[in-house]
Amino acid sequence: MEIKVNETPVRTSRNFRINNLKLENIEIPNNLKPFKNIEIITQKAEISNNVRKYKLEYGNGAVLEENAQNEANSVLNIKTSRKGEKVTIIYTFTDEETILVNNIEINTYKDADITIVYKSNTDKACFHNSVIRLNTSPEDKVNVNIVNMLNNKSMHFESMENSLEDNTNVKYTIIDLGGKVSATNYFADIIGKEAKNDLKTIYLGIDNQVKDINYIAHLKGEKTEGYIDVQGVLNDEAKKNFKGTLDFKRGCKGAKGDENEFCMLLSPKAKSIALPMLLCTEDDVEGNHSTASGKVDEKSLFYIMSRGLSEKEAIKLIVRARFNKILERIKDEDLLKDIVHEIDNRL
Amino acid sequence: MAKTKVDDINRNIYDVVDKDNYEFKMQKGLNREIVEEISKRKNEPDWMLDIRLKALEMYNKLELPTWGPDLSELKMDEIATYVKPKANLNNSWDDVPEEIKNTFERLGIPEAERKSLAGVGAQYDSEVVYHSIKQELLDQGVIYTDMETAVREYPEIVKEHFMKCVPINDHKFVALHAAVWSGGSFVYVPKGVKLDVPLQSYFRLNSPESGQFEHTLIIVEEGASLHFIEGCSAPKYNKVNLHAGCVELYVKDNAYLRYSTIENWSKNMMNLNTKKALVGKNAQVDWVTGSFGSKVSMLYPMSILNGEGARTEYTGITFAGAGQDLDTGFKVVHNAPNTSSVVNSRSISKNGGACTYRALVRIAEQAKGSKCSVSCESLMLDGISRSDTIPVNDVETDDVEFSHEAKIGKISDKEIFYLMSRGLSEEDAKAMIVRGFAYPVSKELPVEYAVEMNNLINIELEGSIG
Repeated sequence: MEIKVNETPVRTSRNFRINNLKLENIEIPNNLKPFKNIEIITQKAEISNNVRKYKLEYGNGAVLEENAQNEANSVLNIKTSRKGEKVTIIYTFTDEETILVNNIEINTYKDADITIVYKSNTDKACFHNSVIRLNTSPEDKVNVNIVNMLNNKSMHFESMENSLEDNTNVKYTIIDLGGKVSATNYFADIIGKEAKNDLKTIYLGIDNQVKDINYIAHLKGEKTEGYIDVQGVLNDEAKKNFKGTLDFKRGCKGAKGDENEFCMLLSPKAKSIALPMLLCTEDDVEGNHSTASGKVDEKSLFYIMSRGLSEKEAIKLIVRARFNKILERIKDEDLLKDIVHEIDNRL
Repeated sequence: MAKTKVDDINRNIYDVVDKDNYEFKMQKGLNREIVEEISKRKNEPDWMLDIRLKALEMYNKLELPTWGPDLSELKMDEIATYVKPKANLNNSWDDVPEEIKNTFERLGIPEAERKSLAGVGAQYDSEVVYHSIKQELLDQGVIYTDMETAVREYPEIVKEHFMKCVPINDHKFVALHAAVWSGGSFVYVPKGVKLDVPLQSYFRLNSPESGQFEHTLIIVEEGASLHFIEGCSAPKYNKVNLHAGCVELYVKDNAYLRYSTIENWSKNMMNLNTKKALVGKNAQVDWVTGSFGSKVSMLYPMSILNGEGARTEYTGITFAGAGQDLDTGFKVVHNAPNTSSVVNSRSISKNGGACTYRALVRIAEQAKGSKCSVSCESLMLDGISRSDTIPVNDVETDDVEFSHEAKIGKISDKEIFYLMSRGLSEEDAKAMIVRGFAYPVSKELPVEYAVEMNNLINIELEGSIG
């Protein structure tokens, strides 16, 4: 079938090739067996299969949303009730398990650290579609890390939504490495007063990978803050669409928002499209966005190579330096090593 | 702290309504007979009628845009596409009928011509009523005339360029334009000729429930240079008027063209205009645009940098007040190596007005060594208005330097405090900040071209602030 995913919140001219991502000949799996290869690491968080039905504000389109809500072969409700609770969930794709449709609801209390990792131990083309919803309580401080390390033959769709209460502080980190097509949709509803949502993303596109990134933040409460920082690298014939929206709603007095996307191009065949949107119906706000793209800084490259490194090694070093600020947010050292190893391998 | 309040533009000059005293007004609507009738009345050659009819077919096929402002109030069945005023083309103001001449005098056009212009064209409804150019330019081979004359007297040049830069299938309103176009200016600047003073065309739409579809075709040959200014206005009526003009600019190798527009249509106008420039090797086109009027605007001038080393700059300001939805911006396509573009956009929204900056930067695979820098700032003067920034940046090669930055916000309290601590009143401080905000655009305007845009900005800022 043919589907359109990741629609922008506001349409623009069709000729600009950014309103959505059209996918042809895609099979949406159903009647799935439960996905078994899940590792859940937690101390006392409550994990159950009771996930409430919920209509996404944006998401990856009706077909994929319905698939995740009705056909999921992994349904998890994560509830933290102690300060500082940590939860790590690792899904591993294998030759036997190539399809994962997961529906996750996270309800946090006080401080929480949630990490969801998608790994691949197979060369087979896999399918992954998920919905992750985060409901916070006032004053929560929540870190969420999502790591996609699928192989480059797979389809990866992820829809994430957050709802932020008064004084909630959410740090969301997305490491987007895998997938032949990776379409990620993220929506933060920053409702509560002085709530802060800080999203940081790394993406790496190689071969013919397509990255379609659609991040939206609604700033509604007074003195809310919304940040989107995306750092990416494209090599070979990889293609990336970045769509970022900061939407300052009427009444969000004193709100601040910053949106930044940087794309390093390592190949003349790589393609980068960016649509950083600012929408505003409140005057008492500060909103900024910036995007930039270009090749590796030749001076840095020359300097590093003059110290004896090959061009490839030098590029890896420069990429890692650019990614480091975001990678610092991954506190699990083993996972961090895995991610760095994966980036190096892919480069 | 009190909010800044800036009055609406004082539109007294623009809103003077002349009697709808036409020689001929086409029946409302759009069909083959109407298109044929326009062509017949203009005594056009068959090739032009063919273009019109193909465009009509295309218009019927194409959809309305699925994005941007609401166009539901626009009903083509209620628009007269052609209105011939009671005047023929003249090259002396004395011969222009009194009423029409008075209108242009109120707008300051003849005075500007005397003071600072090398040539003037004035269109009233669907026809150009006045056109003149200084003798020394004629002696150098410069052509500046209305489009109808150009079709008759320079058919080969027009045929080669008309609707080639902007193809008729570009979008629905381009097709509409090509089907019913009337009036507009034709400029040809021969190789190596540099015009020191600008040419100006002014478009006035007086007739209610009608459309203006003027076509501007400018060819600046190799090594030549030109500054062209267009101004537009209309009095306000209760029903919708339509402006769907088309501007095609050909800037050949090493040539330079500066295209300045002061748009001050009335607030019942749907301004769905299309402007595009093809830019040759080491040539440059600069756009300076002030959008103040109209109910709805969808206007995105476009530069296509086809020659190596071609350059373009866009400097624009949009000011939306009550009831206005102004969707404006800029498009640039880098199609050749070492091309460069600089975009500087400012917008101000107030009294419930909506400003949208919508843009495209495309750097094609072959455009190695290209550079693009975009800066976009929006100022919200109250909490009931709207300001959106929707830029698309499409980079298809690695060897580029591309950066885009945008800001949105209100007048900074810190800046007001600083200026007040230096002795300014709060009102003066705010006015100074808004002037400073608009300065990057206003400084690009020719000093001698004081007729419209500078006045407009001054009127805006001298409104009651405080």
